[in-house]
Parts: sequence; structure tokens; C-alpha cells
Amino acid sequence: MQPPAAPDHPPSAEPAPAPPGVKLRLANVSKVFRNNEQTIEALAPVSLEIREGEFVVLFGPSGCGKSTLLNLIAGFDAPTTGEITLEGRRVRRPGNDRLMMFQEHALFPWLNVLDNVTYGLRWLPNFRFHPLRRRRRAMELLKLVRLDEFAHASIHELSGGMKQRAALARALAPDPKLLLIDEPFPALDALVRAKLYGELQDILVRTRKTIVSVTHDSREAACLGDRVVVFTKRPGRIKAEIKVDMPRPRDINAAAVTAYAAQIAAQLEEEPRENDDGKRD
Amino acid sequence: MRTTTEKGTKRYVAGFYLLLLGGWQTLFSLQLIPDYLFPSPLQVGERLWELGRDGLLWPSVSATLMRMTIGFSAAAGLGLVVGVVMGMNHVLNQCLRSLFLGLQTLPTAAWVPISLLLFGLSDRGIYFVIVMSSVAAVAIATSDGILHIPPLHLRAARTLGTPGYAMPLRVILPAALPGIVTGVKLGWTLGWHGAVSAELIKSSVGLGYLLYMGRELNDVAQVLGIMMLTILFGLLLDRFLFGQIERRIRTRWGLTSQS
Repeated sequence: MQPPAAPDHPPSAEPAPAPPGVKLRLANVSKVFRNNEQTIEALAPVSLEIREGEFVVLFGPSGCGKSTLLNLIAGFDAPTTGEITLEGRRVRRPGNDRLMMFQEHALFPWLNVLDNVTYGLRWLPNFRFHPLRRRRRAMELLKLVRLDEFAHASIHELSGGMKQRAALARALAPDPKLLLIDEPFPALDALVRAKLYGELQDILVRTRKTIVSVTHDSREAACLGDRVVVFTKRPGRIKAEIKVDMPRPRDINAAAVTAYAAQIAAQLEEEPRENDDGKRD
Repeated sequence: MRTTTEKGTKRYVAGFYLLLLGGWQTLFSLQLIPDYLFPSPLQVGERLWELGRDGLLWPSVSATLMRMTIGFSAAAGLGLVVGVVMGMNHVLNQCLRSLFLGLQTLPTAAWVPISLLLFGLSDRGIYFVIVMSSVAAVAIATSDGILHIPPLHLRAARTLGTPGYAMPLRVILPAALPGIVTGVKLGWTLGWHGAVSAELIKSSVGLGYLLYMGRELNDVAQVLGIMMLTILFGLLLDRFLFGQIERRIRTRWGLTSQS
């Protein structure tokens, strides 16, 4: 099967002075949440570069700021310090060039499967007034995730795994420059997940997307990531980076994945138990 | 399994109503209360039949339904717009919500005197009562529906690139639909109360008017018959029209327990 043709994005307003190959650049990005009396430093200044076509997994325990970072990249929240640039342009608000896939499928129940996938296309200039083109593109993606026969089904008629695949099709349809995945498939049982990991990799190899994903499951990180960035707890900061050098598609149950998972998880165990603010490294 | 129990339940419900009618007939047959005060179900049915035969019943039923269609459409439209504005503006919501909750404590019939003063005996006054009875319920339910939209849907809409101007129609209204339908259903019931109350006093056709006529003529059978008819129509529309729509929406939105 051919990868679906990429829809053209509108020409960018500003020229992109990004270094070649770097898709997303985080420069000293930090986040402090303040409410009435409390100040919580969720994320210490983090710098990271993500290259074109790379699958980067942000890995760490809950409360390490990895989801916060994902929200900053998506533009749902503004960083307290630092700058996030995508292809040299500063990220300011949510947009379909950085599509986010959520922990839950987040499909719109008032639209059927096909309309959910066409929904995001509606806002692209190339598709704005072309319902047939939108439909064609959506059908290509539904074929890719093997849901073309369910194009006219309602969301509540799909199984959990099908919903996640539909959500993936919806996220890929506008051909985002960057796909953000917040905990892939947490609500599914192990068997369905293992299958989806395989399918996800298969699709990603074909579409060559640049992806940033978040997880607290070391196995998942090893299975999906080209590079795993390990975060420590509160305030989140980068502890280590591990390159996962394995051919795809990888089986989540393969021995090599287990070995990498152990290596990734070990990074966290070395973390000092006492709360000494992580000043040891 | 589920269908058999459901069928069984339905049988019990049917049996209950038969028993009710039987009890009523028995009570009548005992002649404890004179029959001009307490007619039998048969007499009530007979009276309704006579009204129908004389061409008095159908024009009244259709008049009331017509008034409801027009008046309630206006109320639902108005309530929807006000509710959307309330749902999107916190301050306005706080202001209007207290006002509307206050208005809702007012019995619908209490709108009749003011409508008489404002509009006299015209039909416009009935529309006024219908709108005032139901608009607050629709507006409050709509704003509640909007405030209870899962944040996930809004976030998904934003990451998919939905421009701000498209949010109300493409995302907010559809996402709030389950709440809105509940409000419309409640509003319909309140409007129905209002319509019949208003017709009691200021109309020459309609279910309320027939009730009033029955009282004037000391015709208990007519009063009871029209009351039952009013219940029947209210129930039919509430349960079978709005109830069905509500059920389908709740299923589709994944809000029911059945998978």
C-alpha cells in the first residue's frame, strides 16, 4: 500500500532559519505553575532537539513534567522560560502542524468515523472548499488503519482498539509536521496494545512522521522510540538519553526490547531516593 | 434476557393501568359518591366521544399543539442563544443563572395575569406564557451542557486547528447536545403547563378552554376526560418524541451504560 500523498501546508509566513535536519527545538524551556499560594516547578529548563523523522519518547515517572512538556509543544500552555520552535517558527498556540493524540481517543461522538477524519482537513486551505478532496484523503487514511469499512459507523460502535486507530487516522490526515502522542493506548488490554504497537510502527515507517510521545512504561518506550529521553522527578529534568538501535517493526515482547527496557528503567533506579534536589549529577 | 424482563415489566405496567380503571369502575359501581361528581371511566370516554363527534375536540387539540409548536420553537431558539452566550461568558452566566433560577420557582400559571394585562385576550398572550414558562429551563440546560463539555473535546478541536469563530457551531453546540436535549425536554413540559394554564382563562379554543368549559357546565366527565387527554399528549410528546431523541443522543455520545 502506498503512503497517502501529503497535503500541502500553506506556505509559512516567515522563512524558516532552522538548522538542517532539526524539526523541533526546545531551548531552555521550563514551566512553573503558580496558583494562590503555591508555586510548583514542574519542569526545570530543558533543551532538546528533535530531528526530522525521529521518534522521541519522553520517559519518566508520573510528575516528572513530561506531559507538561508535551502540552507546551502542542501550544496548550506557554513555557515560563525558553522557547519552542518548530522548523524555526515559534510555537504560540495549538495548531494542526503539531497534532496531539490524547490518552483517550477524543473522537467527536457527533460525527461518524469518516467525518472525524475529515474534520481536521476542513481548516487547511487546500481542503477548505473541497469536500470531495477531504473525503478522498480521509478514506486513504482509513484504509491505512484498516477502518475503511467502518467509515460510516458511529464512534460508540467501535471497539477500543478501533477507536485508537480512528484517532490515529484523524491525527495523520492533516499531515502534521509533528505528531504528539500522550501515552499511547493506555486504556486497552495488553493483547490489543501489543498489536497496535506493531501497527503504529508500521504506519509510522510508511508515513515517516516526526513524533514525540510520552510514557511511563519502559517497555513501550523501548518498543517505540528511536531515542528515549529519561526525565527525573520534580522538577522534571533530563537525566539521560538512550538511543534505541533496533530495526522496525519491533515486537513489544521481543528479548531485545526487554533488554533496552531494563536499561531505560535502570536510569531511574539510580536516582537518589533522598530528596536532595538532584544536585548529585 | 434483558428483553424478556423488559417485556415482563411492560406487562405489569399494562396490568397496573387495567387495575386502576377496574378500581375506578368498582368505586363508581358502589355509588358512594353521586355520579355527577364522580363519573365512571365509561362515561368519561363517552363524553370525549361526544366532544369529538360534535367537532369540539379536534380543533382544540390541534390549537393547543399549534400554539405549543410556535411558542415553544420561539422559546427553544431564544433559550439556546441565551444559553450559548451564558455558557461562554462566566460573568453573564452568574448573573442570568440566578435570575432564571428565580423565574423557574414561579408556577407557570403565575404568568397568566401579567400576560392578560399586557396582551389582553389575544393568542399572543398564550405565546408569551409558553415562552416565559420554558425559556429559562432551555437556557440553563444549554449553559450547563456547555460548561460540562469534556475538556478533552475542546483540546482535540484546538489541536485539529479549529479557528475560534467555528468553535460554537462545530464543537461547542454538538458537544453540549446531550445537556441541551434534556433542557428542551424539560422546557417542553413546562411550556405545556403554561399553554394549558393560559388557555383556561384567555381562549375560545384549546385543551385549557375545554377544561374551563367543563367546569362552567358542571361536567365532571368532560373535565376528567380533557385532563386525561392533556396528560396523554404531554406524555406522548415527552416520552416518545423528546425521550427517543434524548435516548439516541445519549447512546451515540456514549453516555449510557449499554455498550
